[in-house]
Order: sequence, then structure tokens, then C-alpha cells
Amino acid sequence: MPLDRRDVLKLAGAAAAGFAAPAIAQARPALKIASVETLSGPGSTVNRLWSLGLKYGIEKINAEGGWNGQKIVYAEYDTEGTTGGASQKTQAAIADGAHIIAHGGSSNIGGQITEDVRKWNLRNPAAKVLFFGLGIEALELTGAKCHYHFFRFATNADIRIRALVAGLKAENALGKKVFSINQNYSWGHDIQAALEQSAGENDFTLVDKVLHDVNKIQDFSPYAARIAASGADTVFTGNWGNDLSLLLKAVQAAGLKVRFATTFLDLPGALSSAGSAALGYFHAELWNPQAFGAFGQELWTDYKAKMGTFPSTSEAKSILALLFLQQALKTIPEASKIDVDQIAQALERTSYKAPTGDVTMRAGDHQIAWPIVVSKVEQGAKFATDGTDMGFVPVKVIPGGEVLNTVQASCKMQRPS
Amino acid sequence: MTYLLTSLVNGLVFGLLLFMVSAGLTLIFGMMGVLNFAHSSLYMLGAYLGYSIGRWTGFWPALLLAPLAVALLGAFIERYMLRRVHRHGHAQELLLTFGLALIIHEAIKLMYGPYPVEYAIPAELARTAFSVNGFNVPLYRLFIGAVAISMFVSLFLLMRYTRLGLIVRAALSQPLMVESLGHNVGFVFLLVFAIGAALAGLAGAVAGAFYPTGPNMAEDLGSIVFVVVVVGGLGSLEGALVASLAIGLLTTLTVGLDWTLAGALAPFGLSGWAASIGGLFSITLSSLTGSLPFIIMLFVLLFRPAGLMGERS
Repeated sequence: MPLDRRDVLKLAGAAAAGFAAPAIAQARPALKIASVETLSGPGSTVNRLWSLGLKYGIEKINAEGGWNGQKIVYAEYDTEGTTGGASQKTQAAIADGAHIIAHGGSSNIGGQITEDVRKWNLRNPAAKVLFFGLGIEALELTGAKCHYHFFRFATNADIRIRALVAGLKAENALGKKVFSINQNYSWGHDIQAALEQSAGENDFTLVDKVLHDVNKIQDFSPYAARIAASGADTVFTGNWGNDLSLLLKAVQAAGLKVRFATTFLDLPGALSSAGSAALGYFHAELWNPQAFGAFGQELWTDYKAKMGTFPSTSEAKSILALLFLQQALKTIPEASKIDVDQIAQALERTSYKAPTGDVTMRAGDHQIAWPIVVSKVEQGAKFATDGTDMGFVPVKVIPGGEVLNTVQASCKMQRPS
Repeated sequence: MTYLLTSLVNGLVFGLLLFMVSAGLTLIFGMMGVLNFAHSSLYMLGAYLGYSIGRWTGFWPALLLAPLAVALLGAFIERYMLRRVHRHGHAQELLLTFGLALIIHEAIKLMYGPYPVEYAIPAELARTAFSVNGFNVPLYRLFIGAVAISMFVSLFLLMRYTRLGLIVRAALSQPLMVESLGHNVGFVFLLVFAIGAALAGLAGAVAGAFYPTGPNMAEDLGSIVFVVVVVGGLGSLEGALVASLAIGLLTTLTVGLDWTLAGALAPFGLSGWAASIGGLFSITLSSLTGSLPFIIMLFVLLFRPAGLMGERS
């Protein structure tokens, strides 16, 4: 068979690449991503999920060839649950050559890391790093504490409340009287403030609002009594962990006819310990396996096959952040030096086509705009969650731009010139 | 009115639950002179055993078997661990119980996983006892209270009116004298520890079905139980009862009170000024509910270090 001109060129090209590849590969550095997370002590079981998701996501990208001709390097650092530990481990990760530091577990620890990263970048302009917030949802991180090298890939209190209110309205499930119960720290305050604002913009009244100690209340029945006394139709809560399942159980035991709108009902342990108390309750989150269609199904089964468990929302959010990053990296020409400012620029320009809609990173404060899935807990759902026969059935997908809060006035971002 | 009534019931029941756990702790303290850090772990163990055994035998036999198993473990801990380190002093005993608490916590996580298990209330108790203006009081809540009360009554009768109780009380205050009278004080201590453990186990088996049974339940309740024992007076059963009920009622009733320091200054016409300062002045009482027991403990330690009914100081 005679070779034509095109085939010859192809062969020559392949041969050249084959010879040259090792030399180039050595010259090109690998992208290093460090997961700085609380991996020991209390809270480690929930926080570890962020790391597991990153590990899976990076392996997935590497299986598709990685980036810059190299596999992406992944490393884990344990904050031991303190901001001091987080500071140390952030320094360690930077010393190990990390280009991107990721954290999902705690706004408090995330707040420390973002400050450390900001200062490091000021003092070491030749070796800057990026900080990815996978789950940390405190408003101040894209407000007073915002800076050019921090990106939030998760929602925030404003987005969650806007989405929940819009979703419940569409389902005619909001009612006129709304009760707010939240944990007494920055997250709970954010949710309550978002609700107060939303009450002004929508036709419902906030009949009562409560802030309670975090993870200290054993018996939520007095709060159930207070909800009953308020005559509320719907209860909004940003609670997570025990504070959520105990609250739901107490309300069910009291036989109250209220609906709940939640933000963390999808974390492991919540649905199983709340049991049937959670049925019919609403939830708003950027991830929902059913709303993601074939993509969701694929991730669900492939993750189980590789990691041994079905992906929780935390793991899924880690993975989605990486897919967004992968999309951004594709626009950057391969180079002998990794420039994180270039990656930051690419992230701002990226438009990622998720199965639920377009995703963009807002340049003003680096808050991501994901379409938000409002879902309802039902029995016999397609994706049974948390070892129960219940799952989150999507009722409405709201495009990211519709529920995105405006850039906070407190965010004064210094952009590199 | 509805709120007050239901809160009173809730507070009483929560107080009684606190008492079930703290009774054993205060008894053991009276005996050893050392706080048993592993006590709330035994409470957690009772809940998990109740859950596991209940899957084989049903709820009621498990309610009997789980405390029994915890009692056996308690006896083992006293006989083969605490007694060995006793001669080295209190610090060693304290460290031993602390280590035990960590081991039990990790063992539970290894065997049952890090998330709560589905320990459900039996169908015959999963009903509403009565309803106040549409607010249901679950039957199981009253059941917890009933178990706690019957436990207190039988314990009180045992300690006060039986020969065994007499020997136990004597052994707690004058061990050497009781021993020289020919009683086996070692066995008495073993018995007290086992009973204390059984009480914690029973509390766990009963409460675990109502509150989530998870690996953090020991820490969650542990600190409050210590507060109860300190406020009530270390070693005093009656003190533990009074402190449990007081803390149970107080934490329940304050949930609905949005009092602030600024509001308290209203009679002096200063509330507007105080509210404008914010900070400490605008903290509502309801947001302090979880910290209230610790604030009470602080004041008790300051003004009555031996506790409300304690003898030691």
C-alpha cells in the first residue's frame, strides 16, 4: 500500500514527538494540588470527604492525560482541626511546591488559609499560590476577606436562601409565615441575614428567628415548642450534623405540620438519623445526582466502583471544582513554568457546561455561579442516599445567574497589573 | 401557656435522663474519689448494644441485656484495670478512665462506622401520649422519664433501707473499718462500679432510640453530665437529682426567652443606649442555652465549691 503525503507527515510527527517527549516532559513542571483538610480528630469523618473527592477527581483528570504533559500531583495535609494547624500545613504545602491549595470543611479554617495565602502572595510574588474553597460558604470569604487568588467553588448563604425561596415558591410550598432557626456562628448569622433580606423582597413574614449554640443542644423539643408557638408554615435552617437531625426528630415527635428548607440534609448521617422525619422537606445545592442525568449516574457508579462508597455531596463538589479547573487549564498553553496568575485569569474566563446549565466564575469576587437544584426528600428516589430508601428528587433547577447575590461592597479585590 | 406546659414536660424528662447517667457517675466518684471519664462512653456503649442486641431479640429484651452487658464490662474494668492502678494513686486512675474513653470511642467508630445508626423506637411506644393545643408529647418521652424515676426510687430504697445498702454506704465512707468488720470491701466496690455502669448502659439503651445513636453521643452528653455531678455535689445522689432537674428545666425554659441585658436595663431608661453598644448587651438568653449549665457550674464552684449537696470540699 503506497503511503500518501499526509501519512508520511503523520509518521514523522509521531516519531519526532516520541523522541522529543521525554526531554520536554522533564522541562515541564507538574501542577501540584494540596488538600489542606481536617483529617484527624472530631469532624474528620465529614471533612475527609473533600479530600477523597479531590483524589478521585485528580486521578480522573490524570487518566485523561493530566495537564502540561504531566500528571497532576496530589498531596494531603492535616490541619488537626485548628487554625494554627491549618496555617502550618499551608506553609508546608507551599514549601512542597503546591500551586493550588484546596479546603472544604470549615469557614473558620478556610478564613485562616485565605489570609495566609494572601499574605504569602504579597511577600513572594515569584511563587504565588491559589486557594480553592470547595465548601466554605461564609460570606466574608468573598466579602471583606476576598482577594484575587481565592476562588469559591461552592454556594454561599445568600445563594442557598434565594434558591430555596424560589424553589418553594414554584412548588407553592413556601406559605406566609417563615421561621428561622440557625447555629450561633458566622454561617447561621449569614443564613438568618439572608432570610431577613429575602423577607423584604418576597411576600412572607419572618415570624420568629432563633440562634442556638453549636453542637451543644441535646434536646430540641423546646425549639419545636417555639416553632409551634410561632404558627410557622415553613422552617428555614442552615443547621448541619446533630443539630439538624435532632431538630428534625424533635419536630416530628411533636407532630408539627411544618415544612423544612435545609442546606445540609445531604451530608452523610443526616438522612439516616432523621429517618422519615425528613420526608417532604426541601433542599438546595449545586449538586444532585438525578438532576445531573447521565453524568450524575456515571459519577455515582464509577465513584462507588473506585472508592467503595457512593459519593456524598462534599465529594461531588470537590470533583466538580476540579472539572471546572480542567476546563480552564485547557485554554492555557503548555509552558515550562506554571504561572498561577494565568490560571486565575483562565478561571475567570471559563464557561463550563454542566448538565444542569452553564457555570461561570464571577471576576468581581471569585464566587462561582452554579445552577442550583432545589430538591425534595422522597421515598423510593432514584438515588437512594445515606443507606436509606430516601433520596433527593429535583423539583426545580434555577440558572446560576438568577440566584447569585451581588458582589459585596466590602470586597476590594487587588488585581495584578 | 402551651409553650410553658410542653417545655416543663420536656425539661423534666431531659433532666431525668441527665440524672440516669449522672447517678452512676456520682456513685462511682463517691467510691473511687475520681471522676470516671469513661462513664459517658459506657452510656454510648449501652445505646449501641441496645441497638445491636435489639436487632436479634427485639427492643424489650435488649433493654435488659444491654445494661447487663455494660455492667459486666464495668465489673471487668474495676476488677482487672482500676484495681491494679489504684495503688499508684488518683492520677493514674484518672488517666486510665480517660484512655478507656478514647478506646471505646475508636472501637465504636471501627465497628459501626463514623455516622449515626438507625436505632428506632419500638412501634408500641412510637405514639403520642397526649397533645396540648396541637403540640404532641411523644409517649416515648414519658417512658424515658418513667424509667428514670423507677430507677431512682429503687436505687434510693436499696441504699437506704437494705442491709446491702448499709454496707455499701459504710464502705464508701469508712472502707478500712468495714473491711476489719469482715466485709469484702473489694467486692462492694466491684458491685458499685458495675451498678453505676449498668445505669449508664440503661440510660444509653433507653435514650439512644430517641436521640441519635452515634459515635459523638458520649462527648455530647459527657460534659453536661460532669456539670450535673459538680453542681449537685460529687458523690451525692440526691444532689445529682436536683442538679439534673434544675439544668434540664433551665435549658428547656430559656430557649423561648429572648431576654437581653439591654432589656434588663429598660427600667432605668438605658435600654436604647445598651442596645446601641451591642456586644454583651444584645446577646439573647435563648442563644446562651447550651452554655447555661457551664455558667451555673462556674457560680457553684465560686460560691459553694462542694456543690449543692456535696460533703467534700
